[in-house]
This record gives sequence, structure tokens and C-alpha cells, in this order.
Amino acid sequence: MTDSKYFTTTKKGEIFELKAELNSDKKEKKKEAVKKVIASMTVGKDTDNLELKKLVYLYLMNYAKSQPDMAIMAVNTFVKVVANAVAALSEIAESHPNSNLLDLNPQSINKLLTALNECTDICERVTPRLSHANSAVVLSAVKVLMKFMEMLPKDLDYYGTLLKKLAPPLVTLLSAEPELQYVALRNINLIVQKRPEILKHEMKVFFVKYNDPIYVKLEKLDIMIRLASQANIAQVLAELKEYATEVDVDFVRKAVRAIGRCAIKVEQSAERCVSTLLDLIQTKVNYVVQEAIVVIKDIFRKYPNKYESVIATLCENLDSLDEPEARAAMIWIVGEYAERIDNADELLESFLEGFHDESTQVQLQLLTAIVKLFLKKPTETQELVQQVLSLATQDSDNPDLRDRGYIYWRLLSTDPVAAKEVVLAEKPLISEETDLIEPTLLEELICHIGTLASVYHKPPSAFVEGSRGVQHKRLPARSGSGESAESPEAAQPAVSEAPPAVIPSQGDLLGDLLNLDLGPPTSGATPAPTSGMQMGAMDLLGGGLDSLLGGDIGGSPAMGAGFGAAPAVMPASLNAPVGGGLGDLFDLGGGVGMPTGAYVAPKTVWLPAMKAKGLEISGTFARRAGVIQMELSLTNKAMSVMTDFAIQFNRNSFGLAPAGPLQVLTPLSPNQTIEVAVKNNIDVFYFSCQYPISILFVEDGKMERQVFLATWKDIPNDNEAQFQVKDCHLNTDAATNKLQSSNIFTIAKRTVEGQDMLYQSIKLTNGIWVLAELRVQAGNPNYTLSLKCRAPEVSQFVFQCYEMILKN
Amino acid sequence: MISQVFILSSKGDHLIYKDFRGEASNDVINVFYEMVTSLRGDQPPVVMNHEGLHFIHVRQGGLYCVATTTANPSPFTIIEFLNRFLGLIKDYCGSLSEKSVKMNFALIYEMLDEMLDYGYIQTSSTDILKNFIQTEAVSSKPFSLFDLSNVGLFGADTQQSKVAPSAAASRPIMSSRDQGVKNEIFVDVIERLTVVIGANGVLMKAEIQGEIRVKCYLPSCSEMRIGLNEEFSIGKSQLRGYGSAVRVDECRFHQAVKLEEFDSYRILRICPSQGEQTVMQYQLSDDLPSAPPFRLFPTVERDSGGRLLIYLKLRCDLPPKSAALNVSVTVPVPKGSLSLSQELSSPDQKAELQPSSKAVLWEIPRFPGGAQLSALFKLEVPGLSSASLLEVGPVSLSFELPKHTCTGLQIRFLRLSPAQPGPPQRWVRYVTHSDSYTIRI
Repeated sequence: MTDSKYFTTTKKGEIFELKAELNSDKKEKKKEAVKKVIASMTVGKDTDNLELKKLVYLYLMNYAKSQPDMAIMAVNTFVKVVANAVAALSEIAESHPNSNLLDLNPQSINKLLTALNECTDICERVTPRLSHANSAVVLSAVKVLMKFMEMLPKDLDYYGTLLKKLAPPLVTLLSAEPELQYVALRNINLIVQKRPEILKHEMKVFFVKYNDPIYVKLEKLDIMIRLASQANIAQVLAELKEYATEVDVDFVRKAVRAIGRCAIKVEQSAERCVSTLLDLIQTKVNYVVQEAIVVIKDIFRKYPNKYESVIATLCENLDSLDEPEARAAMIWIVGEYAERIDNADELLESFLEGFHDESTQVQLQLLTAIVKLFLKKPTETQELVQQVLSLATQDSDNPDLRDRGYIYWRLLSTDPVAAKEVVLAEKPLISEETDLIEPTLLEELICHIGTLASVYHKPPSAFVEGSRGVQHKRLPARSGSGESAESPEAAQPAVSEAPPAVIPSQGDLLGDLLNLDLGPPTSGATPAPTSGMQMGAMDLLGGGLDSLLGGDIGGSPAMGAGFGAAPAVMPASLNAPVGGGLGDLFDLGGGVGMPTGAYVAPKTVWLPAMKAKGLEISGTFARRAGVIQMELSLTNKAMSVMTDFAIQFNRNSFGLAPAGPLQVLTPLSPNQTIEVAVKNNIDVFYFSCQYPISILFVEDGKMERQVFLATWKDIPNDNEAQFQVKDCHLNTDAATNKLQSSNIFTIAKRTVEGQDMLYQSIKLTNGIWVLAELRVQAGNPNYTLSLKCRAPEVSQFVFQCYEMILKN
Repeated sequence: MISQVFILSSKGDHLIYKDFRGEASNDVINVFYEMVTSLRGDQPPVVMNHEGLHFIHVRQGGLYCVATTTANPSPFTIIEFLNRFLGLIKDYCGSLSEKSVKMNFALIYEMLDEMLDYGYIQTSSTDILKNFIQTEAVSSKPFSLFDLSNVGLFGADTQQSKVAPSAAASRPIMSSRDQGVKNEIFVDVIERLTVVIGANGVLMKAEIQGEIRVKCYLPSCSEMRIGLNEEFSIGKSQLRGYGSAVRVDECRFHQAVKLEEFDSYRILRICPSQGEQTVMQYQLSDDLPSAPPFRLFPTVERDSGGRLLIYLKLRCDLPPKSAALNVSVTVPVPKGSLSLSQELSSPDQKAELQPSSKAVLWEIPRFPGGAQLSALFKLEVPGLSSASLLEVGPVSLSFELPKHTCTGLQIRFLRLSPAQPGPPQRWVRYVTHSDSYTIRI
């Protein structure tokens, strides 16, 4: 009696039978019955045996109770788990210094050098793993070294040593089971694309064995082409020629294509490749001939006017072509070299007979080829071209074909010379490696060597569901190429170069899903006065420019929420009055009423009640006594009491955050929108609001005259921006005072021909200086403002500020 | 981590199914089977994706052993795990087949339970698992009179019993606790040979992949010392003396192998655990110490009657005392070939035209060293052209060379310490298999 009998189908009434057996006194019978249940569950008879499952479970539970020995087994499992955790922790600890060191490297030459020594140690710890028996370990070690090599200058001796060390383990992986081989080959494919030098001497390893599974063969073939070079091309070609006579059709096709790729990749081999392909065509094996013709077309594209002598041989095989791709390739060849083929018109005509039965690919190619032929031999082929044009335009329901037909038709009928220029234009040479993985993806995949991503050749985010926690990994910057890695002073200015296109364009804002601001301040023009409050909920949410116009609705206590900016270089003293933590946020005493001094925009609704379960938030920003404040009016329009308020800001360009521990951020794009979350006992609500840049102007923004002059000269003229402040009816002094109260300091004033020139300076919380020249002409309500700043992106916002301050 | 593990027979029957994380239902078994059976030739089957679930599988003994996962784990880890899992089934059940899996499903479930916890691999060591596995293996080997042939009259050892029967190592490690355990240890040196010989008879590629495998049935763990040839060397530069140096390019050892005595005495020290383990793997390419075992002298021509004549002379270059077994020669022939008539040099050989692959299969059960065999094949090919002659070849051979290693690696001695109670039986076997032996025409 063996257990396999349980897999045979069971009869009705089995439950009773099993029940009886389970309850039986005999130990043997009980055991049998339990096995029966497990077997039937595997086969898929699951649902109807619920009762039985329960029985088994009860049986097991009782058994465990009565047999304490067995409980030890369970305990043992827990011991194993603990061991697992320890292993994982130690592994993290082991890999941690490694990653730390790699991060530190770019900071300075000295550190790089010392770290290099230490890294070498780590490499020495990793390299023994290359000969581990478990291929997963080997590949992980390879990955570590591949990433490490990215940091090494190529001329270092150690680099060469590492290269040599990497080859043998990769080769050894190919002696494993076919499944492992396949996974290894997919990884090697990546490695070869990144660093072909590792395996350049190991070409022979990738020669296929006749008993390799087809998927291993194809992968090997691909790697062979990638490794092909002038040095080994003869060897590779001889192999490929052998493969092209094998039995497996898929493999033979790929082998023939590979010969073509060799020709395109290694120019010196092109002639041999062509003659090899001709030999293969002689075999008259249908699919070999077709593949050969397809690749010869590519060779013609790469080396025009070089191998046309073979066209005659190709034409002999016209009849055997039954695949669209091969037919299209052949037609292309005939059309392209129509002047050298005596009977080109006859050949094309023969294709034309079954025009409607051809695939689109062939039809398009045929149309083009005949037009080419006509342009080359206009006298004999007029009839033919008319025939094909009418076929394409009148009898076809394929829009591509029809359009192309009409274009040719018009071209030919209106301007034959132009037609010649268009149709017979010189074609760009095809590139040698069309199938390379694009570099950024390759870099990411190199970081995922030894994972599924390296098998699919796709980033993990593409196939791991809900790819949270999946980061886009990148290789570290190469030390040799990036100066910033080596010179400490180069690293600093990079900050100001960092933002490439910083003024948020409409597209940027729309792209940013979190940011609901629909009216970005891109244009310098004054916003059209709209009655801010009546705007839809959407617009109100956006805040933005509307906040400049809206009125104050707050019927509830206004709240001054003090928060500090991120002062990268700001003197500490200015930061002093900042209150700490959330406790300060709801300081009811402060911020009620409009203080004199800096301009404060009226409050606007940032979060309408209908969006936030009855909580309405309107607010504005102000700068008081050196502290940036966000003033909020919270109105409870709901029926219930709201408590437990809290606030949090999303990360933003100037590092605005509720006062408390501050983070120093580098100035990024001056996107003046903050996303804010307010929490109360009911829910968490999110909104975004835009703050005027004037709240970032600090009190010590008055520059010395000399410094101002020097700086003005120093800033390149490209950074100068000019704006018009229109309809401003203040005199110079009033303007100066108004601006002064908003921390825009006038350093000097000059009067030339009735025009007042005010020279002003502004300093932002993050240390950016903005220099301004404001020209005021008596009687002219339009002021001219020139702004110079090292970070020209902010000019636009500063201008808006001027406008806001001067007009209010 | 692994979401599910299941084993299917080649016909798609569910043999084993276990879900670890509840991330997918068991419908995926059928999905997998449909996917794997409907793949086109150029689609790789090893890793497949279905709606965010990844199937990774290996195929052995006609069984699909599949793991599913939803994350981005190392496929190597999973394939190594599956291979190890199948290896353990082999260890515990004696062999790996649909039958043995069906007979021991309870044992296999028990093993899976211990090897994986919530999809995380816990252990795959035979020694650790031994403590947890309660179910006894059921061996599929039927009782046969043939087994008795080794036992001499009145139970005396005969000369024959010095040679272990080939099936001796395929029995469960844990079975028959009460029947008195045989203290046995098998050390196999297995080499796989890959050779490509060009049409001009030049050796184009030669590669040997070898391993030393230990299969241990000793109940208690004791240290074993395996002595290799003293002149064994690794790498290209090391040449010790002259003459019969045994050299390999690359060498890998099981992590449990202690190598203190390896450098000076070429001794491996290991405490083998029960079951099968690969102690050492090595490889050698290009530079074979001796000539490749087979040479072929082919002639392909058309006779006056329009038939295709293939005349093959096959020479075995092994030393005269050795012999190759189960030699089969595959000669691809033109696709249009209709029928075959042959002339073979001895009656135990066979040759036939395989209609599906269009190849002539020539089988030679035993091929002594130094011998030369010839065969003449006449093929009826309608419309035979000179191009069809190109379709003949390349010839591939598969064979087995018992008691022979191509690298010359030998095991000098095998010592167990401390001495076992009741002398253990120690077996050393050598075999070379053809991996891919191709001769071009």
C-alpha cells in the first residue's frame, strides 16, 4: 500500500468513510485518513471537505497537547526565526559601513583616497565570495564589485585586477543547470553592455552547445554579438555560420540575424559576413534565405554602394519569399538600386499583381520603391507608377498608404525635382547598436543585478506591484569624470547652478499633482482684478494670486502662526524670536489686527469649508520682527466642536516649516507654494497656499554702498531683468518708505534729468542678494525696475512683490 | 520571499501545493501550466509573469517545481532553493519522480513547512531538517530478485559485491531506521565534457566541468579526508614537475570544506552531513590532458542513383582498458530525406532515421577504447542538390565513460576519523558524461 493511491479519484460518501477512519482506534488507520485529506486538498478538492479539515486540525491540536515532545518542534521553529533575525542584522551591519564609505567618497580628494584604501579592504572581503558555491552569493558579490568599480579611476592597477577577478565567477555560473544559466546570462548581458572588457577574452564560453535549451542558446547568441570585435570576429562568424545550419528554426533565424549585426558592428568583417550570408542563401532553405535578405538590406543601409554585386543573387530568390519582412526588404533593395537592376520594373510589377493581398509593410515599401524607380527611369515606368498610385490612393482603405500615395502623387505632379530630392534623399546610416539598453536604464539595472529586474531587463517599478519603497537606484557618479567629486570648492557653487529652469512654468505646476495652484505667477503682468471670494472652490484652494485680492472673511479668532525659514547663512540672532513647536502655533494673542510696517496681504480662503468637513481656513503671510508668520483664520462651519489642531508643511523651496527644529535646505526652485496639512479631531486636511516672497526679505538686507557697486558690476548682465511697475502714484520718498518697511532697503538715490534712480538691496532668508534699480519719473505712473541677482529665477517674484507693496 | 511553492507533473497534475503568504489563489497553478506549455520556441520559460505574480521554475525528472513571488527577489536564490528542495526530495525519498513525490507527499509537505516560514527560507540543510521530519519515506523500489545476485552463497561476500550496484546510491537517507542502517559513503567524481571539433579535425573547443559529490549514509557525523592526486594543480601557471600533471583552471569548494591541508597535500577535510552534497566543483577549458575520446572521419557524397551517401568512421581514443557506454551519434540529414538504409559493423548497433528531427541516430551500446567502427548510411532524398549536402551535420555524440576522468583527477584515499563502529563501506566512482560533443562536417 502506498500513499499515491490517495491521488486517484475518490468516491462519494468519502467524508463518512474518512470520519470513521479518523475516529478509528487503530493508529495506522488514523494516519491514513489524515494523509487522504491532505492529498485531496492538493488535488483541489478543498471546499467540500471543510468539516474534515476541522477534524484534522482538532486532531493535531489534541495530539500536540498530549505529546509535549512535539511542541519542542514548534519551539525549534521559533529559535530558527531568531537566528534569521540575527543573520539579517549582522548582514545589515556588514553592508552598512560599505554603503557609508561609498557615500562619503565624493566629498574630497583626501577622503576619497583614505576611503579608497578602506574600500579596498571591503573588496578584499567581498572577492572570496566570488567563488562561493551558491550562485546567488556570487552574483551579489559581482554586483558589489561592479558598483565599486564605478568609483575607481580606470587607470588604477587595482581596477585591472578587479576586472580579472570578475571573469571566472561569471564563467563558472554557466556550468550550472540551464535555469541558472539563463538567469546568469541575462545578468551577463547587462554586465557586458556596461563593461565589455570583463569578458572580452571569454568569447568561447558563450558558444552554444547543441543540447542547450533554446532560450539559453538565444541569450548566448546575443552576448556573442555584444562581445564581437575586430579581434575575435573570425571566430564568431565561423560559429554563427555553423549555427545557421542547425535544426531549430528560431535559433537559425537569430543566428542569421546575428551575422548581419556583426557586419554592422565590425566594419572589417562586413565583407566576410556578406559572403557568409550568400553561402547561406545558396542552401535555399526558405527561412534562412528570408532572414539573410532582411539583414543584407541592413548591411546596404550601413555600407551603401559597396556590396551591390550580390543583388543578382538575391533576385534569384525572389519567388521563395513569403514573409512580409523579407518581401519588404527585397522590394526596398530593388527600389533603392533600381538603376543597376535591368529588369527592376518587371520585378516590381510582379509584386504589384497581388498588391491587395500584401501586408501593409510590403504595400508601403512597394509604393515607395516604384516611385523611386520612376524617378530613376521615368520613360519606361510611367504606367507602372500610375498603377501603383491609383492602387494606393483609390483602392486602399489604409490611411497610411493612402496618405503616402497622395503625397507622392502631388509631389510628382507639381514639382518632380523636389520629388527627387525628397524620395531619393540620402538616408542616414543606421547605427551599429540599435538594441542597446539606454544608459540610464542600464545603470539602474546594474544596481539590480541578481534580482528579477535583471532577468526582465525592466526596472523593478515596472513589475512589482505597488512599488512603494522601491527606489530608483543609480550608480554613484564616476569619480574621474565629475570634478565636483574631487574639488571641494567646486561642490559649493554647484548649488547655484543646480536649478536648470526654475521659474515654475504652467506645465510644471500642472504636472505637480499635489499642487492645485492653477494660476501660477508666470507672467509679469498685473493680475486682472477679480472678485476673489466668488471664485470656485478649486481656485480658492489654489490661493496663488487670488490671495492678493481677496478680503478677510475670518469671523473666528485670527491666529498668528510663527514659523522660521531655513536660514542657510542667516545670522542666528534673527532667528531668536521664533517660538518653539506647535504650542506656539495657536497663540491666540498675537497677530490679531493689521500691524503697521511690512505689507501684509489680506487673508484669502485657502481651504473652503465644503472641502474640509466644515473647517474653513483662510490666511496670509506676514513678516513681523524678523519672524515669518502664517496667519490663519480657522472658522468652524460645522455643527460639532473641533479640537486637537495640528499643522504640518510639506517640504518646500525655502524650507518654510512650523517653528521648531529647522532643516537647512539649499535654495531650489522658488516655487512659492507650500502644501499644508492641518489636522483636527475630525480629519487631516490638505491645502496649498502661496506666500509672497517679501516675507523672506530679512532685516539686515542693507548692503554697503561699495559692496553694492562691486556686486552690481560683478553680476553678469545676463542676470539682469527689467520690469515695468504700472499705475503707481507714489512719490519717491513714499515709495522708499513703503519698501523699507518690507525690508527693501534703499542704499542710494540719484536724480538725473528729473528721473529718480533708487538703488536698493534685498536679502533673502537663504542668503540670496537681490540688487534693484528703481527709476521713478515725476508725473509718469510707470516705474522701471531693474533687478540683478545671482539666482535670476527669483527676479520675477521680487518684481511681483514690488508691485504688491507699492500699490497697497 | 516566496509566495507559493508547487510541484506539477509533466501532464499538469497538482502533486504538491503550498501557499505561504496568501498573496495569490491556487488558480495560478493552472495559469502557470498553460503559460509554460504554450510558450513559443524563443520565449524563455524560466521566469514568467502573470498579473504581477512571477513564476520561477526549474524542471527536473519530468516535474515542474515552481515558486511564485510578488516582489523583486534574487532569482538565483529561488532557483538555488528549488534545486536544493528537489535535491532534498531525492535525498529523503531516494529518487525524484512523479511516483516518488506522490508516494511521499506528506513527507514533502513536512519538509516545505520546515524549509520556509512565511515565504522566507529557513534552512535547507539535511542535518537540521532531520530533527524535524517525522514522516518516514516510502521507497518506490520494488523488491527484486536481482538485488540478491550480489549476495554470495550463504551470505558470503563475492568478488562482485566489491562493485556497488548503480542503484545503490538512490535510496532514501532516512528510511528503515529499524532495519539496521548500512554505513555507506559514496564519493563520485563526475565530469561533463564539452567538445567541438571543426570540419578539418581541429579541436576548436574543449571544456570539462567536474565535481566531486559525496553521498553519505553514515548516521553520525564524523570527519572525512579526501585525498586528491598530489600533482593536482589549479590555474594556468602552476606546473608541477613534468608528465602527468592534473590541472584545472578553476576550483570551487563547498563552504564546509576545510582546506588547511589542501595547499600542501591536496587533502580535503569535510564533515559530511547525511544526503548528497557537492564538495568540489572544477573546470578546465581548452587544454585537455589527453586527446578527445572520439574522432570522426566522415565522407558525404551523392551516388549515381541520386542517393545521399554518408560514410562515417568513428574512432575511440580511450585507453584500451576503458570503454564508452551508450554511445549515440546523431547526424542531421537534409529535410527532404525519406528513407534510410544502413550498413553497420556489428549486430548490437542500431541506426534509424528520426522523422521528427530529420536526423540519423546511430546507437552503439559499448565502444571499447582503441577500436574503430564504421557505418554507411544511404538516404533517399528527392531533389537532392549540392546545397542539401550542406544540411548534413554537425554530428553530435552522447556517451558515458565509466571509470574514467578526462582531467585525470583521482581520489587517492578516503579516510574517516574517528574510526566508525562497524567498518563503513566506502565507494569511489568515476564517470565522464558527454555534455555537448559536436563534430562538424
